[in-house]
Amino acid sequence: MKRFYVIGFALLLGFDTLNLVCFKLAGTHALPVEMSAAWLARVLSSPWIYGAIAGYIGAFVSWMSLLKHAPIGPAFAASHLEVVSVMALSYWVFNEPVTPTQVIGALAIVAGIVCLAFAEGDEGTGDVVPA
Amino acid sequence: MNGLVFTLWLANLLLDTGGQLAFKAAASDERAGDGIARWKYMLRRPWIWAGICCYVVEFVVWVAFLSLVPLSEGVLLGSINIVAIMIAGRFLFHDRLSPMRVTGILLVAVGVAIVGAGG
Repeated sequence: MKRFYVIGFALLLGFDTLNLVCFKLAGTHALPVEMSAAWLARVLSSPWIYGAIAGYIGAFVSWMSLLKHAPIGPAFAASHLEVVSVMALSYWVFNEPVTPTQVIGALAIVAGIVCLAFAEGDEGTGDVVPA
Repeated sequence: MNGLVFTLWLANLLLDTGGQLAFKAAASDERAGDGIARWKYMLRRPWIWAGICCYVVEFVVWVAFLSLVPLSEGVLLGSINIVAIMIAGRFLFHDRLSPMRVTGILLVAVGVAIVGAGG
């Protein structure tokens, strides 16, 4: 089960990150933004938009596979690791600024996911609310 | 927060929570089997479509909400959804909430809020 979660969440993270980065690249490719058929044509002519669609589909399949076994509350929280991966990529790939506060937030997300991973190890003990 | 912004915020919260719970209901149906047969079964049942409908409507609500508030407030909203889904999962799907799990979920929620607010 541990391997199932590791592979499942790694795939989800990969597809979610692919989706967001491709959306950004497709949007940049199609500039300037305007509510017109020409803008939509520019978006659709970018190869990146198809990466974004592939990311959507892959993330959906990964998520539905994970939910077969994963508890919804912890799994939904853990799926937010993409906030960290996208922040790191936006810094390295797009040279966007990252503030110290955002780094602290990212560390809190990682710490939370470490807690959730440990909780999987001793699942079923010490419920706050008895199931 | 004025009336329209509050309504959009509440709608987003309900749609996100409802959508995720519907996906969980679809994915955890033990009669679905495995592999391709599982997907065929899920696609013939209402839950996966209920989830998709929630997300389509939520997309429109989200765009409208973000047009009225700064992005940081929008991300802050996302962190509240994490807690709402934790509570709903506890009652509807009997998710076990051990102290370690609750701590992990709350740390992620606070982290998402801080990343949003730190822009």
